[in-house]
Amino acid sequence: MPGSFSIFKLAAFALLLLFAQPASAQLSFKPTAEAVQEDKLLNALKEGDKISGRISIPDRNAANLIQPAGRDWRDFHRGKLPWIGGIAILGMVALLAVFLMVRGRIRLQRGFSGKTILRFASFERFTHWLTASCFIILALSGLNVSFGRTLILPLFGADAFAAMSAWAKLAHNYLAFPFMLGLVVMFLIWIKDNIPGKVDIEWIKQGGGILSNGKHPPARRFNAGQKGIFWIVIIGGALMSVSGWFLIFPYLIGNVTELQVWTVIHAVIAMLFIAAMLAHIYIGSIGMEGAFDAMGTGEVDVNWAKEHHSLWVEEQQKKAGAPSDRTPHAVPAE
Amino acid sequence: MARVKFLCDADRCIECNACVTACKNEHEVPWGINRRRVVTINDGKPGERSVSMACMHCTDAPCAAVCPVSCFYTTADGVVLHSKDLCIGCGYCFYACPFGAPQYPKVGNFGSRGKMDKCTYCAGGPEADSTPAEYAKYGANRLAEGKLPLCAEMCSTKSLLAGDCAIIAEIYKERVMKRGYGSGMWGWKTAYSDSPTG
Amino acid sequence: MKVFITALAFAAIAASVVAVTLNSIQEPSSVAFTTSGARVGDPGNNLIGPS
Repeated sequence: MPGSFSIFKLAAFALLLLFAQPASAQLSFKPTAEAVQEDKLLNALKEGDKISGRISIPDRNAANLIQPAGRDWRDFHRGKLPWIGGIAILGMVALLAVFLMVRGRIRLQRGFSGKTILRFASFERFTHWLTASCFIILALSGLNVSFGRTLILPLFGADAFAAMSAWAKLAHNYLAFPFMLGLVVMFLIWIKDNIPGKVDIEWIKQGGGILSNGKHPPARRFNAGQKGIFWIVIIGGALMSVSGWFLIFPYLIGNVTELQVWTVIHAVIAMLFIAAMLAHIYIGSIGMEGAFDAMGTGEVDVNWAKEHHSLWVEEQQKKAGAPSDRTPHAVPAE
Repeated sequence: MARVKFLCDADRCIECNACVTACKNEHEVPWGINRRRVVTINDGKPGERSVSMACMHCTDAPCAAVCPVSCFYTTADGVVLHSKDLCIGCGYCFYACPFGAPQYPKVGNFGSRGKMDKCTYCAGGPEADSTPAEYAKYGANRLAEGKLPLCAEMCSTKSLLAGDCAIIAEIYKERVMKRGYGSGMWGWKTAYSDSPTG
Repeated sequence: MKVFITALAFAAIAASVVAVTLNSIQEPSSVAFTTSGARVGDPGNNLIGPS
């Protein structure tokens, strides 16, 4: 019947009016009450934290939406690190230059005797040169990553510099392994001669005799300075190895924030390590007459040995059964 | 020359991944490289929001600042591109990028991750525009043809906007005014510290 | 001198062995990011050069 049809239409229309209210005015819930806000999430982040969520792809790194720590990492690597490295390395070079000017080359007081004594066996020299040559390439290639863009790129142009840097990076990544092997062997063969002792305290008190002619505090196979270098190499090298290991196998950590920490450790320790090694290279080459022979041929002049490692010479001569021929001089009570 | 940016309106994004698919198809991006991805925050909970993220083409790009071989450059439009000929695959850009944009063909680093790849804003690379050489290295160059990035063009809800920064910021602000809410211009404060609101 | 040269040679050979070993076990991202649900035939070479 026409009447009932119009009542249905009226009812339907009334129902429509009942529900067709302006959305913003009459809703009893707010659709965005719990919506994530970028500002709130960013402000809630603690140091090093990331905003991350759910992704549908296998690469877990993609789940990180924003990691603001990258900005701080960039500031460190382009801001603070060049200063740390520059001061450490150039500072050491300046220090060594001043030392050479003021003190000069440390000469053999009584001159070369012409007789030699074996200081380092060929296996020891092999281990030293293995570690040292790897260190040189690792240091240079590492410094290239930090400073090459500023210092070398302008000299050679982008293409040549990039090609050189690519090879440097490969050398750095792969020579790290023989370096680590050298470190382990060095530790095993020399740890027993590098334990600090009373003789070292006396040696340090006399400044190693390094600043004055004629002073030669007694020392065993390695003096306190050399023991310092040993431990710097072992500890510094270990830190470099661990941090470097995580950088070459990043999936072990897989978290970009942790990797940033390891790059900072790797870079800072490297700068300090290089500075220390410059001092070691200096004293072992031009800094002291007769020192290089120890690692060069393995045989050092007996007079040199008596001046710088008197107790060691005695031990060696006792072992060889030769009569001790040291001139009487004060030896600190053990 | 306009300064171009991306803006993902997270309140419109439905996580359909059309942007991802468009990018993958347009540049023949190999499996495993994710130039663009969709991240969902608070998935399954009230207030869940999805954001489409790729390279944001930052002002003062951190990737460019830390690159040891300085292989990045910024075009007049503000697009951050890089040269794969110079790239040594060291991974520094990945550490610095706040958005995780750099992608690498090999995992595990070892000797090299391979040449870094990332969103190019569909603007190719240093090779000559719209040549097969450029396509093989960097993908399609839509900007050279006067077109906008395909991800934004293909967005099913017009949540991902690309184009002149003033225009897309204005569009977003209109939307926020009209509907009364907006979860934010995701990434703008981090990427464009000089102009975080357009 | 002989010891020094031997050390250099050992370093170079060791580095090469490490390089070959590590590169043989390094996965391309197409392999690393393949899940059981994804069947990847030819992962593609555009943008990353010949593998």
